[in-house]
Amino acid sequence: MNLYKYASPVNFYPLAGKMIPWFAIPAALLFVIGLYVGFFVAPTDAQQGDAYRIMFIHVPAAWMGMLLYVLMAIYAGVGWAFNARLSSMMASSIATTGAMFTFISLVTGSFWGKPTWGTWWVWDARMTSTLILLFLYIGFLSLQASIDDPRRADRAGAVLALVGVINVPIIYFSVQWWNTLHQGATIRILNKPTIAPKMLAAMLIMLAACWLYSVAVVLVRLRCTIVEREQNAARFAEAGT
Amino acid sequence: MDWSMGGYGFYVWGSYFFAALAIGLELFSLSRRKRSCAQNVNKDDRGKITEAKSSYVAQA
Amino acid sequence: MFSWIVWRELILAWRRRADVLSTVFFFVIVVSLFPLGIGPEAQLLRSIAPGVVWVAALLASMLSLGRLFANDYQDGTLEQLLLTPQPLYLVVLAKTLAHWLIAEIPLVLIAPLLGIQFDLSQDTLRLLFVTLLLGTPVLSLIGSVGAALTVGLRNSGVLISILVLPLYIPVLIFGAGGVEASIMGTSPQSHIYLLAAITVLSLTFAPWAAAAALRISLE
Repeated sequence: MNLYKYASPVNFYPLAGKMIPWFAIPAALLFVIGLYVGFFVAPTDAQQGDAYRIMFIHVPAAWMGMLLYVLMAIYAGVGWAFNARLSSMMASSIATTGAMFTFISLVTGSFWGKPTWGTWWVWDARMTSTLILLFLYIGFLSLQASIDDPRRADRAGAVLALVGVINVPIIYFSVQWWNTLHQGATIRILNKPTIAPKMLAAMLIMLAACWLYSVAVVLVRLRCTIVEREQNAARFAEAGT
Repeated sequence: MDWSMGGYGFYVWGSYFFAALAIGLELFSLSRRKRSCAQNVNKDDRGKITEAKSSYVAQA
Repeated sequence: MFSWIVWRELILAWRRRADVLSTVFFFVIVVSLFPLGIGPEAQLLRSIAPGVVWVAALLASMLSLGRLFANDYQDGTLEQLLLTPQPLYLVVLAKTLAHWLIAEIPLVLIAPLLGIQFDLSQDTLRLLFVTLLLGTPVLSLIGSVGAALTVGLRNSGVLISILVLPLYIPVLIFGAGGVEASIMGTSPQSHIYLLAAITVLSLTFAPWAAAAALRISLE
């Protein structure tokens, strides 16, 4: 079976179309199941009461934000190195979803911080690094939006995403350093290892739901990008829609 | 389930509200973009070299 | 070739002294605005001084980065530089070195004077000078990547800031943090070592990334 034909945007377009329902429907189901388990099955936490239930959207969103950035950088890098248009289009499609999840994790993090730590915003290592990650996403999106030529936009975005992905561990480390030096006495972070199995189950289900949702949304955006950029391709007619 | 979340209802429901809002916005803007692209694909003169109806830049 | 490029940049900057000096004045004015906005209490000023001076240095660097490649791009010199047999890495490194000498060194020299406005001690002023000296090359190096990516674009000035400021954050944290550590009495050594490490890392990789970005921008 010749898989390489799918490297062409025009050929991938119908395949993506067929894939989307296989991710969108399970995503919706898992969201419902995850929220059910999170709210009805998982017990109330001893320390935080019911406020901890924000975790079921906050943690998956934070992980997706970070994961999608790395994926975006990989796709962009591959697209640049192998001159593969589809790979670069994938990177551009991922960016918005990644930024959205990072934003959700910041907002839900603030809402979680207020009852547990007393303030809406606290400069702990994770919140600060997530904020910087959002800035990196915005930089990538702004750069691509400012360049008219699509191939130049793809390659410039690749350089930026790769420089960014190398910086993310450096930034995280330096922010953690900065934070431990300036640590206020009142900040306590939820101890992950002692999490109850039902809470963990809900969180993992929500993570899977977010992941499937991301794939579906990114594929839809990718199809739109393909249409917008490959309008001249006569083969569009043959490949079907 | 305790709907008031032990007094923390505002925070829990507030955060889920904003999360749902963000996801809803993304889906909404994506559906609008999809509609305009679908029009481009179904045009009769596809296959000819034309000016793009929508811009090439990355959109939400 | 390397020294020729540096020398050329210096001569060009000398002919356009106003550009260089205006960046320095921007730095001075921004730093002076903070005490006016916050109040003259010495204790408070001493605690915010390192952060303020460093952030102002970052912003002043942002202003000067646009000039790094833009002028050469407009008169076609940049394309010629891309065509030379010399490795583009060295060309970029030369331009970045020149940028550091022209735009950053004046900031580093003036910063201790501005530190006096904040009632900092001699030792702190000396440390401020050292951290800026170590950290400003990184500002030029990472800035060159941002400048190379945005050559010829419409709103490149603001765009460079959006792209590069998040990447500056580790430098800011260790640079300003080192000076603050010494104000609070702890040793700034670890901060300085990490700052030096970041400088060396960017010295190795940034010109390469900027060279790649230049090729992309000029196709």
